[in-house]
Amino acid sequence: MNLLKIVTKNMRQRALATWLTGASVALGVALAVAILLVKQGVQKRFEQGTLGYEMVVGAKGSPLQLVLNTVYNLDISPGNIPWKLFEQLRDDKRVKLAVPFSVGDNYHGFRIVGTTDAFFKDFEFEPGRKPELAAGRVFSFSEDALKSAFQEAAERAKEREAKERGEEIKPVAEHEQDHANRPFEAVIGATVAGETDLRIGQTFIAAHGVQPSAEAKEHTENPWTVVGILAPTHTAVDRAIYINLDSFYHIEGHEIRSPQAPKPVAAKPKEEEKDNDPDPGQVSSIVLKLRSPIHALALYRAINDSDNAMAAFPAAEIRKLFDIVGNIDLVLLAQAILILIVAGVGIAVSIYNSMSERRREIAILRALGARRATIFSIIVFEAVAICTVGAVVGLVGGHVVVAAASGLVYKASGFVIPAFRINAIEWLVLGGCVVLGAVCGLGPAVRAYRTDVAGNLAPTS
Amino acid sequence: MDNAVLTLRDVRKSYREADGNLLEVIRLRQFELGAGEQAVLVGQSGSGKSTLLNLIAGILLPDAGEIVVNGTGVPTLSEAARDRFRAANIGYVFQSFNLLQGFTALENVLLGQMFGTGNGGADRATQLLKSVGLEHRLHHRPRALSVGEQQRVAIARALVNAPPLVLADEPTGSLDAKNGAAVLELLRQICADGKHTLLLVTHDPAVMKSFEKVVRLEDLR
Repeated sequence: MNLLKIVTKNMRQRALATWLTGASVALGVALAVAILLVKQGVQKRFEQGTLGYEMVVGAKGSPLQLVLNTVYNLDISPGNIPWKLFEQLRDDKRVKLAVPFSVGDNYHGFRIVGTTDAFFKDFEFEPGRKPELAAGRVFSFSEDALKSAFQEAAERAKEREAKERGEEIKPVAEHEQDHANRPFEAVIGATVAGETDLRIGQTFIAAHGVQPSAEAKEHTENPWTVVGILAPTHTAVDRAIYINLDSFYHIEGHEIRSPQAPKPVAAKPKEEEKDNDPDPGQVSSIVLKLRSPIHALALYRAINDSDNAMAAFPAAEIRKLFDIVGNIDLVLLAQAILILIVAGVGIAVSIYNSMSERRREIAILRALGARRATIFSIIVFEAVAICTVGAVVGLVGGHVVVAAASGLVYKASGFVIPAFRINAIEWLVLGGCVVLGAVCGLGPAVRAYRTDVAGNLAPTS
Repeated sequence: MDNAVLTLRDVRKSYREADGNLLEVIRLRQFELGAGEQAVLVGQSGSGKSTLLNLIAGILLPDAGEIVVNGTGVPTLSEAARDRFRAANIGYVFQSFNLLQGFTALENVLLGQMFGTGNGGADRATQLLKSVGLEHRLHHRPRALSVGEQQRVAIARALVNAPPLVLADEPTGSLDAKNGAAVLELLRQICADGKHTLLLVTHDPAVMKSFEKVVRLEDLR
């Protein structure tokens, strides 16, 4: 027989109250742990996701929208930028690597991204990590084919404009022939392969728009053939379908209207350097890797000074995003702490009220030789035990909730949140619950301490 | 008395009533009990019999006087020391058994041991329960026991630390005549076997008759 056994017996005797108060502690702890884990996991993944994306260039608008769209395949594209800007940046001595991206279609909700083979050959989505093939090969790509695709897209745009004006349309037979010979090849991310059952050699039809919609037009005339499947990266890459950029511009609805030449991006832009050549095509965004970080700010300013493009640092944008989201986390965390405090008060009230029924038991223990301090300890220990057991259940529950939610997060973003990694702050939560239990047990323990022994030993009639 | 296990001398105890007046409950000149002696203390209802037992056990403190148990002046001890002393030196049997309902018969006896000497462990507790005829009821909770069995558990608990003094407050008061007689016989026998001094409080004439030493509280004033 020992104090722990006495405490356990007391808790068992008041099983309903013990379970209810313990469950309320577990709820508060689970909520707090889930919020902390999801926030830290998502933030870490988001920050990790920006590592390979030093600078992103896109149409003027929201830098965060541009980053979300280009890096995480979220949100919609803020618009297009001229292909000539891509060529200028690619040829800029300060730029080590430039990879263009065009978005506008989806397959079963998975975003279709038009890009070049540089994405597979040279691009590192995280330092030292390039997209690797789990099966098949990379799509074929040539810049000549791309320029031809731009030309066709521009002419289709002209045809459409003429049609809109009611003019007679002249069929362009050579384009159709070109189009038929163009390889419509796709390399799919690991999640796409897992969730759609697309395999090498299978074809699929894309739908217009970056989000699935019942009204979206399907590009039935241009089925893509899967030629490669990427190994899992646990980033947004897993949830994308990569196609060659030239095939992207062969699709109906991807016409290039009113191309404008970009203002040259120079270290010191000069008025006389204006290029009035028409732009051959457009892309949604460009990811840049610079030769040295010292060029970053100058290039950033030069791009943002231009009329039709904007540069953004993904890492900085994500930090800003989490500065905003951080406040929401604090509100949720405050709610979880409030739940814990209410649970603590519940424990105190429950044990305090039970003191009336337990006065006789306490008197018996005292008559058997238990000291006041022992009785005080038993009551405090009981409150601590309820809080601790509730906290442990809550910690486990929090991880289970995160494990369940991580599936949804993965579906939405491609990020895997490590649900069963113990966070240092969880020990703090556990310690906090022990202290909460001790504090909540003080009131009832003082009442037990003061119990009149002789008066409560008398026979009850 | 050279071998006195219990000595009471000029003990007084009063309570303040709601109207502020002092009500004297205990006033006794001298009383002694020797080792292994068995006595019954009788008195009218409300005469302070239970209060006297609580004073001897150190649960209450007297306003004045000496209470010596096994050579130790109980009121001179600190509260914590009194608790420890009580656990080791005084066995207490109550009218309403005062068993803890959430604990089995064996656990109730072990509780007495936990706060006392701790000697003997579960073996002694089991042996005591066997000696009161409850070998088949060790793991039953009080609600599953008859009132007679409950009082036997209480006797085993009172004796688990082999105390020199056993106090019994109306131990047969909640039992029928047959059970009462059996429990009383058992208590007296075990105390005699273990040479425990027994002071039993009662107002039952049948119980009084069975004791050689009968002390009336009124006579001690």
